[in-house]
Amino acid sequence: MKAFTYATAHSTASARELVADNGAYLAGGNDLLNLLKEYLVSANILVNIKSLPGLDKIERGEKFWMIGSLVTVAQIEDDQDIKKVFPSLHAAASEVASQQIRNVATVGGNLAQHSRCWYFRQRDTVCLKKNGDLCYARNGENRYHSLFTGNTCISPVVSSLATTFAALDATAIVLRDGKETRLSMAELYHRAWENPLAHNSLENGDLILRVEIPTARTASAYLQISDKHAFDWALVSCAAAAEIENGKLKSPRVALGSISPVPHQVEAANSFLDGKVLDEATATQAADMILKDAKPLEHNAYKVPLAHALIRRTLLKLKGDA
Amino acid sequence: MSSWPTETKYISHSTARIDAPAKLTGKARYASDIQAEGWLYGMILRSKWPAAKILSVNLDKARQLPGIKAAVVAREGEFNVRYYGEEIAAVAGTSKQACLDALRAIDVKAEVRHEFVVNETDARKSDSPQVWDGTPNAPATPHVRENGSVDTAFPECAAVIEGFYTTPVQIHNPMETMGNTVSWTDEGVTAWASTQGIASVRDGLAGALQVDHSQVRVITEYMGGGFGAKFGAGAEGVLAAKLSKAAKAPVRLMLTRFDQALAVGNRPSSFQKIKMGALADGTLHAFEAENYGTAGIGGGADAGGGGGGADIPMPYLYKVPNTRVKQSAVAINAGSARAFRAPGNPPASFGMESAMDDLAVKLGLDPLEFRLKNDPNPIRQREYKMGAEKFGWKNKYQKPGSSPGIVKTGIGCAGAAWPAGGGSKSTQGEAQINPDGSIEIRLGVQDIGTGTRTVIAVVAAEILGLKPEQITVRVGDTNFPPGPGSGGSTTCPSVSPTVFDVCQNALQQLQAQSGLADARGENWFAACKKLGVNPLVVHGKWQEGLSSSRAAGVQFAEVEVDTETGLVTVKKILGVHDCGLIINKVTLESQINGGIIMGMGYALYEERVMDDLSGVVLNPNFETYKMPGIADVPDIEIILVNMPERGVIGIGEPATVPTAGAIANAVANAIGARVSSLPITPAKVLAALGKVPPPVNA
Repeated sequence: MKAFTYATAHSTASARELVADNGAYLAGGNDLLNLLKEYLVSANILVNIKSLPGLDKIERGEKFWMIGSLVTVAQIEDDQDIKKVFPSLHAAASEVASQQIRNVATVGGNLAQHSRCWYFRQRDTVCLKKNGDLCYARNGENRYHSLFTGNTCISPVVSSLATTFAALDATAIVLRDGKETRLSMAELYHRAWENPLAHNSLENGDLILRVEIPTARTASAYLQISDKHAFDWALVSCAAAAEIENGKLKSPRVALGSISPVPHQVEAANSFLDGKVLDEATATQAADMILKDAKPLEHNAYKVPLAHALIRRTLLKLKGDA
Repeated sequence: MSSWPTETKYISHSTARIDAPAKLTGKARYASDIQAEGWLYGMILRSKWPAAKILSVNLDKARQLPGIKAAVVAREGEFNVRYYGEEIAAVAGTSKQACLDALRAIDVKAEVRHEFVVNETDARKSDSPQVWDGTPNAPATPHVRENGSVDTAFPECAAVIEGFYTTPVQIHNPMETMGNTVSWTDEGVTAWASTQGIASVRDGLAGALQVDHSQVRVITEYMGGGFGAKFGAGAEGVLAAKLSKAAKAPVRLMLTRFDQALAVGNRPSSFQKIKMGALADGTLHAFEAENYGTAGIGGGADAGGGGGGADIPMPYLYKVPNTRVKQSAVAINAGSARAFRAPGNPPASFGMESAMDDLAVKLGLDPLEFRLKNDPNPIRQREYKMGAEKFGWKNKYQKPGSSPGIVKTGIGCAGAAWPAGGGSKSTQGEAQINPDGSIEIRLGVQDIGTGTRTVIAVVAAEILGLKPEQITVRVGDTNFPPGPGSGGSTTCPSVSPTVFDVCQNALQQLQAQSGLADARGENWFAACKKLGVNPLVVHGKWQEGLSSSRAAGVQFAEVEVDTETGLVTVKKILGVHDCGLIINKVTLESQINGGIIMGMGYALYEERVMDDLSGVVLNPNFETYKMPGIADVPDIEIILVNMPERGVIGIGEPATVPTAGAIANAVANAIGARVSSLPITPAKVLAALGKVPPPVNA
């Protein structure tokens, strides 16, 4: 990696000031350090934000919970209240990487992580995402790539926490230009939908402070399938959340990961499910709607039936948990 | 002729590894732990092009960087590189970062060739770019072996199946990567190597560096696995030596996982088109196959243990009277092949055993009965029967695809053979017996993690009537009497008879010198005391009649397959293996466990993925080159068939041969459709079930 300086910030304001134009925030470092080592990212300063006060807390309100961006994935996995209140979040957290990585990986880092596309990560391949003029995956080895995209790049979002937060309708609170800016999960990733160079909508110097999750959706579920049984990226992940009133879904939301540059959500399907009693047929119809516009490529078409199965299962799990 | 004792205290029992405490406490020094005085890091600059003519390599800037003590080119003058990752130059410096910076400062002038091919099937086409100029990538005519007459035999068959079974290139990824620390001074060369063959590394280094064998010493105290990849010094060993000479300091050059994926050899791919038929009574009658695979730019120079090429044994295991087999290797712009645990056998097993099940289904036969009908090996016959009983085959077997529900269960089995596994006749050893009763056995073999030290202690303890912990075992040094390379499953059958002979000679001399009629056991110390002040040093060598070859084994697999997601979960593997006389049960079982887990990786996860357009390896890391983790590993049960009358036989290789075939057959049995391509991923399972829609832009 290239040489950089290092500083520890004790306030968000000084963190922003230190990171300046060419710096990077360092928390768990799982993604950042690898990006630096592979020369995929360069930073002239790493600003350690692990000492920023208050960002490692989970605040449990009646209407909202706040998860600080420095809360580790392992903390989420181990929190017995989260398991009860947001079972989908607990399930997603426990699927992240390995125990060792979960111990240091933070919520903020999980949301801000860069593409795992193997062309992007390959040190000698200059793809679209690295300012090249070609998406190699499109006509190449695209088994792990997107079914949906708004641009030419087909690298999918892989944050399983983002998938879950999207279904729970959580909001990321981001420090931007000295102000707290609220971004939905759709907004947090929107730029990756349209711009191949982007991994998310964060701008230089933006700092995720916390994630605010409404408690209204008391039923939630998360499922993923990977090639392996642990320590592997999801081929497809799916989260669903809703209130259940008299056996009927209220304000349901479904989101999928690893099939689009953004957490894949179809409002029409959410509306369709609203007020419905869940059964196999309803779940199937919702799955059809969610995957209707999928554009499978040579090696990733299997994600369509896989996603379909996961949507149905996640939705039916919702019912079981109610 | 010598013979093993029939009543034993240690042989065929379980002795914990004598070096377990050293390994558990970190006291054991692996090659990558060596810190020779004043050592430097070494690193290699690799080609970022799949094909190029290297015109010049300028090392000046790299040499001037702080911390850099030496830089050398991999080859002098202009030269061609033929795959992504081929060695161009190397540097040595005081820190990893200094080396990394130096690699980026090397100025390489190259004529990049945009004509290259990394896909086996494309490379066979007549208009394919040529890996070696002027030479077709594949021979115009494959070599053909024929027996009987397949053309007349097929019409006589009651059932015939045709299948196309494929296996990917498997990358060598032992726990410890390839590498050495090399010190080259005027006094000679010392290499601390992570190797399976200290002698072959010595000879290889001596040859490459043009020094006498006597000037090269190779030391391997501990090393973290080789599986066929680590017989020679490798390009990395030679470069480390050159760097050491230039820097006047020892250089430690250990490869990274990135390097491992490119340039240390691999298991060739196979594309097996098989047609096979049987008579109405279930007797195999005709077999026709055309197979090609790639060994990259060619079979590697380090193909010790055999099988750097792409050919596989066909038809595998079973007796078929009429056969025609065509095979050819195809060159592509990728790193060369190298021996890989049971070279040729796992792909052959997967193809043949898949075809066996497919044909059994067509004949309406139980696949196990079909095997018993056609397998000529009496030991496997016995093992199948023992295994079926233990596994509950009869109760568990259902017609393919008939398991109810979305998550379906299935079972399968497959057999293993290993033609080698006998002893190396040139093995020698020595023992030094001290007047205080302590004993040291020295043998120029290396323990590649299989428990060779413990095997030596067990055999010596048995013959001398001592306890294994009383035996000090010294291995892994070319200064000791010559031992075998650890390949072909030959180590145990080489070492055990040698130690037997050393100990018999030791007893004889000790008894003669001490005047005691029996120096064993409780008389040992009294006998040793009579030596006076001088230790007794005795030699011995490998003896006929204590070992043999040709281990046989069978494995059974039970799987669950989720027919909506395609996820395969292996629930159970039962391995039934023979390896003649068992020396040490616990380390033997450990090798079988390892073989099964490696076979699972081959069945379900492992595959080198290359990009046609850029020619690079896309998965040079454990993130996307997937290997089984503990969550993937099923209940493994092992039945050992102890056959002392056969003498000692190695187990390392046969243990991994049948796993993929057994799992593939269990998957086919579960879902009623054949996934004929390894690895069996969710994507391929869903495709086999006909659930995958056509691509939109195809």
